[in-house]
Amino acid sequence: MNLEKVIFGFFIVLAATLNFGFVIGEIDDPLHHNVFELFATVVVNLIATVLKFGDRTQIGAVHLSTSLVADLQLIAATVVWAYAEYIAGTGLTPHLTASVVSLAGGALFANVVSVVMLVAETVSFHRR
Amino acid sequence: MTNPLLAFWQQLFDTEEDARGRPRIRMQVDSAHPERATSTIFLVLRRMRAPLIALIVIYAIAVLGLVLIPGQDAEGRPWRMGFFHAFYFMSYTATTIGFGEIPHAFTDAQRLWVTFAIYLTVIGWAWAIGTLLALSQDRGFRQALAIGRFVRRVRALPEPFVLIAGYGQTGRRLARSLDALGRRIVVVDIAQEPIDELALESFRADVPGLVADARSPQTLLLAGLAHERCEAAIALTNDDEANLAVAMTGALLRPELLLIARTVSRPVAERMRAFGATEVINPFDLFGDYVRVALRAPASFRLIEWLTGVPGSTLPRRREPPRGRWIVCGFGRFGREITADLRAEGLEVTVIEPAATAADDPGIINGHGTEPAVLAQAKLETAVGLVAATANDVTNLSLIAAARAINPGLFLIGRQNDAANVPLFRAIGVDFALIPSRVIAQEVLARITSPLLFRFLAMVPAQGEARSAALVARLAERCGEEVPALWRVRLAADTAPALARWLAEGRRLALGDLLRDPNDRASPVAAVPLLVVRGDASSAFAPVDDTPLAAGDEILLAGVPAARRALDAVCHSDPTRDYVLLGRDAPSGSIWRWIERAPG
Repeated sequence: MNLEKVIFGFFIVLAATLNFGFVIGEIDDPLHHNVFELFATVVVNLIATVLKFGDRTQIGAVHLSTSLVADLQLIAATVVWAYAEYIAGTGLTPHLTASVVSLAGGALFANVVSVVMLVAETVSFHRR
Repeated sequence: MTNPLLAFWQQLFDTEEDARGRPRIRMQVDSAHPERATSTIFLVLRRMRAPLIALIVIYAIAVLGLVLIPGQDAEGRPWRMGFFHAFYFMSYTATTIGFGEIPHAFTDAQRLWVTFAIYLTVIGWAWAIGTLLALSQDRGFRQALAIGRFVRRVRALPEPFVLIAGYGQTGRRLARSLDALGRRIVVVDIAQEPIDELALESFRADVPGLVADARSPQTLLLAGLAHERCEAAIALTNDDEANLAVAMTGALLRPELLLIARTVSRPVAERMRAFGATEVINPFDLFGDYVRVALRAPASFRLIEWLTGVPGSTLPRRREPPRGRWIVCGFGRFGREITADLRAEGLEVTVIEPAATAADDPGIINGHGTEPAVLAQAKLETAVGLVAATANDVTNLSLIAAARAINPGLFLIGRQNDAANVPLFRAIGVDFALIPSRVIAQEVLARITSPLLFRFLAMVPAQGEARSAALVARLAERCGEEVPALWRVRLAADTAPALARWLAEGRRLALGDLLRDPNDRASPVAAVPLLVVRGDASSAFAPVDDTPLAAGDEILLAGVPAARRALDAVCHSDPTRDYVLLGRDAPSGSIWRWIERAPG
């Protein structure tokens, strides 16, 4: 067992699960989407991205790019959230909530791709 | 990026082979490069992984703590910081900008947490920046950067270039000459200092240099061996093994490339030639050949020396090496070569060598040449020439001084090992100095820059003394006592359009007519034709004036620079050509030309 692989898999799966947890629920209901969960998702996603740095293989490159996509989407979601809370002055209206959640939903898709690749890599590793 | 499918297709079905029937491997060689260029950024990213993760975690903890710890607003009501404000606060605090406590003054609990968070973030930043700085000092990282820059510079070279492996005395001399001739160079050396010196040299063009072991094919590929604009690879390192490796790599990867390797060992030369087209230069062997030519054919030697000299300089009249008994001091590689060459000329040779040699040679005297007793044994007073052939310059100089004291009439040949000792050898005044680096550089230059001259020089010894002497006399008569410049003229549409049109009309062109002065056609220009080459096969040595010329011929000329300009005018301008060839002033404007043509 390789500790590096454990940590790597842990963060990738955690990023996907946290993201999923935040996205699930009515898309326009702020009560279904906890801001702490969004915060945790962003942090874990950033860590997962850095973990993927420096891998020169083809699969490593795709891993990194999916993570960068997820980061981009999540940062966009937090910016929309900050806008709703502090700048617009309206709070989380159903409309803005839907925006935040749908952006996070896009990140979820990228994270799922990451997990699928992790699984594929693991399977092919065992076959060798 | 290349399409992988296409590459696969090409590998499967591309059976293209070069002239010698070896399959081409250019494509695979090239694909090794792009990965290198991006390796630096991956190296940075990989090293920064741990500090970056630490920073993210530290920020997350600090922000989360600020959000969770209850605070108060200005009126003392309970208030909680949001993620937005917490992140904003941590951002300016961690980067030591410090805007103060906003939006409300903190409670003591918050201040306790912030104190902790500040130290934590400082540690995180210190680690990250420290790692980055350490990376920029790291030898591996700097090497990766240097290689990346070198590869980009080599790839961006717009002109054909010569790859030089080994930047010692010879490499430096050659690089300077090639640069002066406007050729581009790429240099590889195993040591750092020679490559650093590249920046201090006043080269006209940018010379990319790489510190790497030329024995590795990877190094040579980085230096552009597989590059389509690489026109020659020259192995000049001090290590025969490395030169052999370069010759081998070049011959296997780029069989059509001009490869030149230096060695002083005959077995190594054989191994180099086994790989094919490599041209091997052995300075001792070459010098021995010079001496033989000088002994046997002084006029031919004079001719060769004159044509390979620096243009514009004057050559002093040399003494001709006398025939008689010679003494060779030092029986190393050079000593052996020169002894064999002298004996092959039928001369008696006495060898002085301190080390007990295995060679069972009656002519060998065991001892140090600088000892009076040994010199007396060699009977210096009855000898005609002495070769100071040891690998030590001080020994050679003292040998020459001692020998001259005993017999002032001796013909002296000195081997000069270190370029720094040039003034000493010049001051002591030897008749002949062997400077290996100069011999090699001259030979390489002749092969690279002027294949025609090289061909000419190879023909000289076979022509006989009389023809060589006549050519020398003719050169001296037409061009003066200075070393002439050499150039070639090709009778093709791009290099000599006026002459090409003349020949296309089916008119006769004789060499002598071409070499008339455009100002006064009664007198010839100050140039002498050395060689006329037609196609690949036939060539005429020192052609006479009524040699007929045909389209596609190449002429090697020696002369003063003004003659070259005159000939250029004849090659390019129709009126000048008509004056020189026909002796009449042809009209140069199109109307006058039309008027002249109309009645005829």
